[in-house]
Amino acid sequence: MADTMNHIERDVAALSNKPVDRLTTYPLAMGVCRRCVGDGKMTYREWASDPKKFASGFVAGQKAFDFDFAIGLMDLSVMAGDLGAHVRMDEQNTPFVDKTVVNNPEDYEKLRVPDIRQGRSHVLLEGTSLFVQELGSQVITAAFLEGPLLALTQSASAEKVFMDMVNNRSAVHKALQTMTDYDVEMVKAFAALKGKPAGFVWDYLWGNYSCLGDQEYEEFESQYARKLNKLVADNGMAMCIHNCADLPHLDTQITAFKPAIYSMAYYPLIPGSPSPKETIAKGYADNCLIGGQIDPQLFVRGSVEKMEATTMKLIAEVKTAMCQRGLHSKYCIASGCEVPPSVTTKLDNIKACVDTVKKYGQIQC
Amino acid sequence: MSKEQILLGLEKAVIGGKKADAKAHAQEALNSGVKPMEAIDQGLVKGMNIVGDKYAAHEYFLPQVLLAADALYGALDVLLPHIPKDQLGTQIKASIGVVEGDVHDIGKNIVKTMMTAGGFGVTDLGRDVPAEKFVESAKANNGGVIAMSTLMTPTMDGMKQVIDGLIESGLRMKVKAIIGGAPTSQEFADDIGADMHAVNAQEGVAKLKAALL
Repeated sequence: MADTMNHIERDVAALSNKPVDRLTTYPLAMGVCRRCVGDGKMTYREWASDPKKFASGFVAGQKAFDFDFAIGLMDLSVMAGDLGAHVRMDEQNTPFVDKTVVNNPEDYEKLRVPDIRQGRSHVLLEGTSLFVQELGSQVITAAFLEGPLLALTQSASAEKVFMDMVNNRSAVHKALQTMTDYDVEMVKAFAALKGKPAGFVWDYLWGNYSCLGDQEYEEFESQYARKLNKLVADNGMAMCIHNCADLPHLDTQITAFKPAIYSMAYYPLIPGSPSPKETIAKGYADNCLIGGQIDPQLFVRGSVEKMEATTMKLIAEVKTAMCQRGLHSKYCIASGCEVPPSVTTKLDNIKACVDTVKKYGQIQC
Repeated sequence: MSKEQILLGLEKAVIGGKKADAKAHAQEALNSGVKPMEAIDQGLVKGMNIVGDKYAAHEYFLPQVLLAADALYGALDVLLPHIPKDQLGTQIKASIGVVEGDVHDIGKNIVKTMMTAGGFGVTDLGRDVPAEKFVESAKANNGGVIAMSTLMTPTMDGMKQVIDGLIESGLRMKVKAIIGGAPTSQEFADDIGADMHAVNAQEGVAKLKAALL
């Protein structure tokens, strides 16, 4: 069935639970879309190191796949790298920190907010501005940034930080304050861009019950996150959250934080991992657009036929759950985590996902 | 201090994540003539199993589990040198690591702890481990267990490279290969020819014990 709304009309309707011509869709295809540019040979390093190339991936991806949103996720080592950690930048895959900057308790207090006019913070800011200027009139755009605890665990290793939550609590808090100050500077810089994004997505990964309980999460992230969430709103951007962990703190991150969009994954093998229908049935989509929950590895390992079948199954599941809940449109068909940026990801599967939503995503309760 | 008190002290030190206490009780065990293997099995392992149960029940979270593991290894450092070699020789050798390209190792470290507590002789290959290193380790152990982990979809292929390497080196039939990590599944394990998949550390140890002990 042909679309009768444009992307922004559909996005706005979905965000406010109004009827839509079809469900929104946005497989989290960011780095992988560099392969849609030119001869398709741009490396990840090139894409993540040059604002123009970063932006060109989003523009080319939009042209190739016709997404409903554009979210400027680069990778989770941007802040840690600019804080001094060594980032191993593979040519065709997600980079990662291979040498942390915090290696003993004293190092937490040595962390300083870097100059965001340099490094990959600058690439992220300028690249976001460029793609927002290109795509902002077509789709709802958003910036993407690591929350303070994620930025710290990338800089210091998660295991160390978790143990130091008990052994060196005050040092961890000092470092988290530095991370928060860094995040504050970035939020203000995103808001001041020529291409100002409409939304701002925090990655609050550690709000999950496989890692932290309510008490630890409140102490080591929520108290900082609340200030950052307010800052985003005060700067005129819609606050959104991404958390692709297995047992997310939905009561805190959706009910209490009140994001406009919440992007999440589903792990069927993990007892208690919330499925799409459970998430909707429990009311988490009532006031928040839920994005998810296709397994991202399907984009690498699945066939087009399997991708179509999986997308159709998810559409049917969320349609039924939304109709039972009296909702019109509060679900975006997406991948629970980023579509892997590696060269083995099948671009045809991204197209198959979007096209299947276009074909079968209409809701008639 | 009685033997019972020492064993209880070891158990409580692990449950509470108190490394200094665990080491002190381990030394007390040696000084009092408690057999090291008994101190491990009736004290440390008992405590770690309770920690595992509390984690599964969401009463404990990663900070508590990691501190418990740290306490367990602190006590093992004291006790292991005093175990006769013939007793260690009966352990099943296992090598564990995060496959090449991935550095997320918390899950691997918890599995390592539970395997150690479960009686395996574990060699930790670390993180970002090339396939050849897994194969070399299996060769050094003349088989045993190869346990692989990854948290990232793009690095899952590294697990297949390890299995292929074991086949090429003629070691595959001597090895039990187990995989884990958020993006993995039994279906993926079947695809690449691994023997088993586990959702968490406790399940992994239980499956290995069922297959090997």
